[in-house]
Amino acid sequence: MSRKRAYRSKVRILADMLRTIQAEGEDGAGPTKILYAANLSHDRLTQYIEELIEKELIKELIDGDNRSYFLTQKGREFLIEYRKIERLSQAFGIDV
Amino acid sequence: MQSQIVFALIRIDLIIEVVAGIIALMVSHYANVAFGLTRQKKLSDLSTGFLVLSAGMFGRVIGTLYFLTDPANADRVLGIVIVAYGVMKIMAYAIFITATHRGQRKYHSNYAMAALALPFLTSPELDVIAILLLIVVVLQTLMNYASVRSSFALYVFVGFTLLLVSHILGMINVIDLQTYFIYLGSQLAQFLGLFSFLVMLRQAQKDE
Repeated sequence: MSRKRAYRSKVRILADMLRTIQAEGEDGAGPTKILYAANLSHDRLTQYIEELIEKELIKELIDGDNRSYFLTQKGREFLIEYRKIERLSQAFGIDV
Repeated sequence: MQSQIVFALIRIDLIIEVVAGIIALMVSHYANVAFGLTRQKKLSDLSTGFLVLSAGMFGRVIGTLYFLTDPANADRVLGIVIVAYGVMKIMAYAIFITATHRGQRKYHSNYAMAALALPFLTSPELDVIAILLLIVVVLQTLMNYASVRSSFALYVFVGFTLLLVSHILGMINVIDLQTYFIYLGSQLAQFLGLFSFLVMLRQAQKDE
């Protein structure tokens, strides 16, 4: 029996990625961690990370072959706003 | 003396309506902000629903004020305002049915557009229609609460339930001061329903 995967909007995926990065705190999150936690393909991950950097929600730190991602102040503020919207939507039974 | 009491009660009624209209406008604004960030169409419909509701409330207040200032010539205007108010409420509730219906993939914005036409296709018994629509909304919000078990969903369920109570009380024919008190009770229930949405908004806007 096949199980239907729940639909996730783009903004929800971006919020999931930001939450993963936030959870890693000062150490920052590597791409593999984000990929698994946000349940993404590699291509999608690259595309969304570029978008998050472009929107200044995260910043990238390259150390040799290692890449780490950190939440910016704008990213933290986005997550706070997103949480509020999630509560409002959930109250009316709307998935975001 | 009795006419003074009636005018005082009408003023209270109007104040309640204005505050309720402002709250509906606030919910509409926050739903619109949420739509701006998420592009979730249902949030846009929710915003439209509360906007239509608040416009109806403000329209009724303006119509009643017109009646109070020039009662001799206001009969026709007030008649139109009352019908328009009922129609706008029905439009808002029809939109709420589509917006609060759970499930994403089968949702089409055409449902909301069809819902907007509903009042013009049905009988003039506006309150009966409003009650039937609100029963659906209340059941949907109850199912949502049973599913997510959050206090925010509870506030929404209580809010819509009070709006339903308000319409049930509002069905009474106002013929004297006693029945007008019952009508005021319906206005109060409506206000408390919208106040419940306001409390939900305040709680949802809190930083963790």
